[in-house]
Amino acid sequence: MTAAAAVAVPQVLPEVAPLAVTATGVVSAAGFGAGPLAEVLAGTIEPHGEPTDPDGADHPVRPVRTVAPFDRAALLGRKGTRNLDRLTQLGLLAANQAIAALPGAGLAGVRLDRTGVVVGTTTGSITTATDVGRDTLVHEKPYMVNPATFPNTVMNTCSGQIAIRHGLLGVNAAVSGGALSWLLAVRYARTALTSGRADRLLVGAVEEVTARTAWAWHLTGLLAPEAPLGEGAAFFVVEPAGGASPAAELLGCEVGYFGGAGPGLSGGLRRCIAVALQRSGLTAADVDVVVPGAGGHTRLARLERRALGAELGALPASLDVVPAVGEAYSAGGALQLAALLATTGAEERGRIGLLTSVGEDGGAGALVVRC
Amino acid sequence: MPEPRRVAVTGLGTVSCVGIGIDAFTAAVKEGRVGASEITSFDTTGFPATMACEVRDFEPGDVLERVTPDRWGPSAVFAAAAGRLAVQDADLDPASLTGMRAGTVMGTTGGEAPVIQQLTGQWLAAGLKSIDGHLVEQVPANRIATAVNHELGLTGPAQTVPSACSASNFALGYAYDLIVSGEADMMVAGGADAVNRSTHAGFLQLGALASDVCRPFDVDRSGILTGEGGVALLLEPYDVAQARGARIYAELLGYGANCDAKHMVNPDADSIAACIRLAHESAGVSPDQVDYVCAHGTGTPTNDATEVAAMRAVFPDRLPPISSIKSMIGHTMGAASGFGAAICCKALEEGFLPPTANLRTLDPALGPGVDPVPGVARPATPSVVQNHGFAFGGNNAITMFGRAA
Repeated sequence: MTAAAAVAVPQVLPEVAPLAVTATGVVSAAGFGAGPLAEVLAGTIEPHGEPTDPDGADHPVRPVRTVAPFDRAALLGRKGTRNLDRLTQLGLLAANQAIAALPGAGLAGVRLDRTGVVVGTTTGSITTATDVGRDTLVHEKPYMVNPATFPNTVMNTCSGQIAIRHGLLGVNAAVSGGALSWLLAVRYARTALTSGRADRLLVGAVEEVTARTAWAWHLTGLLAPEAPLGEGAAFFVVEPAGGASPAAELLGCEVGYFGGAGPGLSGGLRRCIAVALQRSGLTAADVDVVVPGAGGHTRLARLERRALGAELGALPASLDVVPAVGEAYSAGGALQLAALLATTGAEERGRIGLLTSVGEDGGAGALVVRC
Repeated sequence: MPEPRRVAVTGLGTVSCVGIGIDAFTAAVKEGRVGASEITSFDTTGFPATMACEVRDFEPGDVLERVTPDRWGPSAVFAAAAGRLAVQDADLDPASLTGMRAGTVMGTTGGEAPVIQQLTGQWLAAGLKSIDGHLVEQVPANRIATAVNHELGLTGPAQTVPSACSASNFALGYAYDLIVSGEADMMVAGGADAVNRSTHAGFLQLGALASDVCRPFDVDRSGILTGEGGVALLLEPYDVAQARGARIYAELLGYGANCDAKHMVNPDADSIAACIRLAHESAGVSPDQVDYVCAHGTGTPTNDATEVAAMRAVFPDRLPPISSIKSMIGHTMGAASGFGAAICCKALEEGFLPPTANLRTLDPALGPGVDPVPGVARPATPSVVQNHGFAFGGNNAITMFGRAA
């Protein structure tokens, strides 16, 4: 048998099934919720810019955008939260906020076995991973790791904790995608919903900033020197469109890997933008606002800007979230969406936003949103 | 609406402690060969248990064509090699892959945990400012799937699903949905993990690490052995595979996925039973049609009791034979249900039931009717098989495979 050639790429892909966003929760350097985020983006208040982790004094000389200190016990309860890492706490805070923002009776009366969670996170909590790793190196008995911390090294800790807190028995997935984590989470959610595996999903993404992650980023040399490193979480309750007027609709979402074969990163991003618009039933002229994600990376930001310009022609308004919430990596895309929704006034309902994400690892993608 | 597409498994790639490539892996599993050895990937000084199922005799350069191992973490290298082996096994023209709507979904538990451990060591030795920035770039777990795309020249989505120890089944399930819905025309799905100090220490500290060998379902079992490797299944639309004359190992019939939402570590029999029912519903099969179950079978008393209890809830009259390949390859974490899927496909193709090795005395507390296929593979002609994966976080995922028509 000789090796067979594969089938070709179809030229025109079907339009996607829109997903309705029915509630939003966001925790960022702007504070809790969409209100403070809109104010920071408008420049009327300043984001929180000091390290908050115990090793705060050990940070590299680099700006940060961190979530201001909060009272864990008051906000999340004392029971079972003491050993939760910062990443999981931020995720819980944003997820709780989204559920509390659901119209009507929230989750009361919905089928919890058909309600699930999708969380974008590239590595889980680096704090927890390195705490356990340190335990194995500093103790005389190297296996004396903290037994309460070890289970939290798994990268689905945040999604599992959200499910436990709200009794969500449906599909529960963690999605690791670097800068593309949010876009991949949206695609996962759309697939699960349109395949009939869930009725609604709590979809979000999380990131934490500590001295350890700050030094790690700093020493890669991948970030622009003045670019702030960011953390936070944003969660959205998402279901198939068709119900009462949603806060927004998630339309076309295309991603790909362009670090190897194919059209290259710039060409790949252009392809994703074009196909995402086509699969939304829209054209470049319909885009009212772009929300680029790569602002913290000098080379990628230039590439992203050029790709947007090439696909859209004259660039519409641009919402740059990085100065407000920092380069938030896994959480970046989710914070871009939260920022887009937070800054969409009542008179702008229906405007079309285009989110883009580009990763140093060769991934690129685009998401079209009807606000 | 077009008819939903069916999904064929046409390529299998395995990098395991009992063999590189699906034929070597299958032969070892059939004869019940155990792949445990003294740990060499980290210094075991001070550890009372020093056995694990590490991959030996694997030269990445023999398999990889594009991924250069020095720039990627060990899990990414396992994944890329498994992906390359799967494409070779599927007899697809590698040059044709770039133009396809094709991508990768890989599961993992620890991601690149050995890389994180190495960086942690640098931090403790000389401070955070001394850690190696190039090594940092190997940390992201999404690079496990990215490595497969890079190796194979795929331009579709590369996504890692880090849903701990059921992650490969999550990956297979997602890839299944992408093909059924027409969103992708080919997917590589599986998982990868690497033996590492933190995971070994953690399971030891939880009292879940075996003192000698992994003995699922045995009255004298004492826990898991940590394992490693990479596994990839190549999935195509069934009609496309038939049209190109591909060898079809099995049909991926469907899957179920749910969450316990009760406890991060303790498994829940009711929730697992619900997951089995979801998997049956997705696959369109009834319990009486299931001929074999590839167990999660970690080798801990809690797992065995919970897994068998869940089975009894769904199969009240007859438990299908249920065996654990973890007895041979250890707990390969995020790759575990991928290895289970691979052996399920071979069991359907060749006609056998994979065994449980190391079994001396079946635990009577598991009750009557438990057939763990002890020792070596048993000739059989299964038509429908069920592959379990359960995880910390309460994430259950079960895939169902059927004999190729």
